[in-house]
Parts: sequence; structure tokens; C-alpha cells
Amino acid sequence: MKRLGLLVFGVALTLPSAALAASAPEEDKGAFISEEWELHDWIPIHLGPIDMSINKAVAYLLLGALCSCLIGIVLMRVKVGKDPTRRQALGETIYEVAQVQVAEQGLPTKAIGRWFPYVASLMVFIWTVNMLGFIPLPLSDEKVTIFGVEVPTLAIFAATSTLSVTLALALMTWTFTHVEGIRANGLWKYLKSWIPDVPRVMLPLIIPLEILGQLMRLISLSVRLYANMLAGHMLILTFVGLIIVLENVFLAFVAVPAAAVFYLFEVVIVVSIQAYIFAALSAIYIGSAIEPEH
Amino acid sequence: MLSSFFFLAAAEDGADAGKAIALALGIGLGALGAGVGIGNIFGSMIQAVARQPELRSELQGIQWLGFALTEAVVFYGLIGGLLAYVLV
Repeated sequence: MKRLGLLVFGVALTLPSAALAASAPEEDKGAFISEEWELHDWIPIHLGPIDMSINKAVAYLLLGALCSCLIGIVLMRVKVGKDPTRRQALGETIYEVAQVQVAEQGLPTKAIGRWFPYVASLMVFIWTVNMLGFIPLPLSDEKVTIFGVEVPTLAIFAATSTLSVTLALALMTWTFTHVEGIRANGLWKYLKSWIPDVPRVMLPLIIPLEILGQLMRLISLSVRLYANMLAGHMLILTFVGLIIVLENVFLAFVAVPAAAVFYLFEVVIVVSIQAYIFAALSAIYIGSAIEPEH
Repeated sequence: MLSSFFFLAAAEDGADAGKAIALALGIGLGALGAGVGIGNIFGSMIQAVARQPELRSELQGIQWLGFALTEAVVFYGLIGGLLAYVLV
């Protein structure tokens, strides 16, 4: 059964690349990899200067939001009975990870009530969007004709492998951090808490560094998730794409298993770790702003 | 010295060679540092669990946090390399 699943997965992985090979121009055979991240407007919506068009990433985000709502409703809204069903056990496991591993590690006790919903939904949402990125879905720009009907080819793409999505998530955490810090400590006391106890001579050097450090948090938080997902998809696409770039079908015997290994590594480890890290760091940042150490 | 190396490569074989070297160096040097770091984390974890097996579950959270923070360094290198490849 397991072997059959792997086989089906391998075939599913090669399908989009075969369709892509047909349309790739002769001179630059490797270009189809970067083309996966080109976003074309599907439904153009322009509100003045604001571009709110629906493209591939937006579709994946909407799907991710829907799925994470469903996860919440299906797993958490259960009748609590004497012997817990599997559904309830799974829901409780997710809740416990969010509560014990994420919220209690970073947030002070008095702030858990207010910020637990944020970090928990962040964790579930990022996990869902990451996971959707590794399920082949018919949501690509390439079209293939099956029995006279044009359908999009199956492809893997994660909304979190575009920088604007992760930057928006990081920007949310960053804003909440400073708002909560100012609300809990007052503006002046909060700003003072950034600066560690150092001799007065060092202050001109330390202050710009600390301010820069606050901005770097924004970059590191967003780029970590973005680059992890981008590199994961690129690795898989590059290995499968080797068949097309080197124009040798027999490479599939090496390339598809290698791609499958990276795929499993991403699905089993990276997807969950990145969701956990993003939520845990958000909790730690917000917690350390509410209760500075000195 | 590195920059002069880039300049030579770019001047002789066209800009593409320099870009390729920049991309490879960005990933390679990033992976070098992160490899040492990740090895350190898991090595320390094995030692800690060998000494006090009852702390395993508590240490695991910290271990994965450290792993993800270290692993991200490779990707900063990758993004730097990609920026050099695409923009310059």
C-alpha cells in the first residue's frame, strides 16, 4: 500500500514537468523552474493604485484559509464524551502543542489569554498553507487538454514561497510586538528596555545596533519561512527538471527517487518545524516586549 | 581578494560566470556554517540525553528551535546568491 502510494506520487510529480517540457522554449530549457513563481492575474481587480487581483498565490492562500478554518471546526467542535474519539484526540494534540510548546514558552502568564488565539491560529494557518504547497493541485498556469477539455496541470506551489505573504505575516507579529510593548510598559520605558546595561561610552554604538536589530527581526522572520519553502520546491523541481534539461528519460530512475526523498524531508520535517518556529518566535517576541528582562 | 576574483571571472568569461560563482559561493559558504552549527546542536542534544534521559521531552523543543534558526542561515546565503544572480 505504501509502495503504491509512493509510485502514484512519483507519477504525479512527473506529470506537470512533462507538460512543461512541451511548452518550454528551446534556448533556455531550465527557465521553467523560475516560471513557476511568476504570478499571472487570473481575475484582475484594481482598486485605484491597489492591485488586488486574484493570482495563483492568492488562490492558494484562500484555499489555505478555508482548510485551516475547517481543521479548527472539525477537530475542535466535538462533543466531549467519556471515551475520546480519534478526532478529539487529534484536536487535543494540536491544542496542546500550541498551548505548551508555543504559548507557554514565550508568553508571560498574564498575556496567554489574549495572545494564545493569535499564535495558535498562526501555527495552524502556516502549517496548512505549507502542507497545501506539497499536494499536487490543478492550480497552475499551464493547460493540458484531456478529452477535449482544457484543464490546468497538476503542480506544487506554496503561497508561503512568495515573499509578500511571509512578509505580511511577519509584519503583523512585528506590529503587535511594539503595540503590546508600548501598551504594557509605556512608550519611554519600552524604548529604554531595548538597550542593555552597558557603559555610557558604548551607547552611541549600541543604540543604532539595537534599532537595526528590531528591523532585522522582521527580515529574519519572513525570509526564514519564505526561503525554506522556496528552496524546498526548487530542489524538487530541479531534480525532476534534470530529465528535461539533459533530455534523457533514463535519468528518471535517479531523479524521481531523489526528488521523492527531498519531498518526504520537506513534508515530514520542514513543514511542521517552520510553522512551529514562526508561531514560537512570534510568542517569544510578543512576550519579551510585554515583560522586558530589565 | 574575493571581489577581485569575481571581477576577473566577470571580465573574462562574461557576466554569467561571475553570477554563477556568486550563487554557488552564497549557498556553499552558507551551508558550510550551518552544517557545523546543526552538527553542534544534535551532538549536544545526544550528549545531554545520554546524561539525563528524563529531560528528553523538555530539550526537544529547544533542539528544534535551534535547528530551525541555524538551518535558516543556508537560505540567507541562498537568497543573497539569488539576488546576485538575478539583479546584478
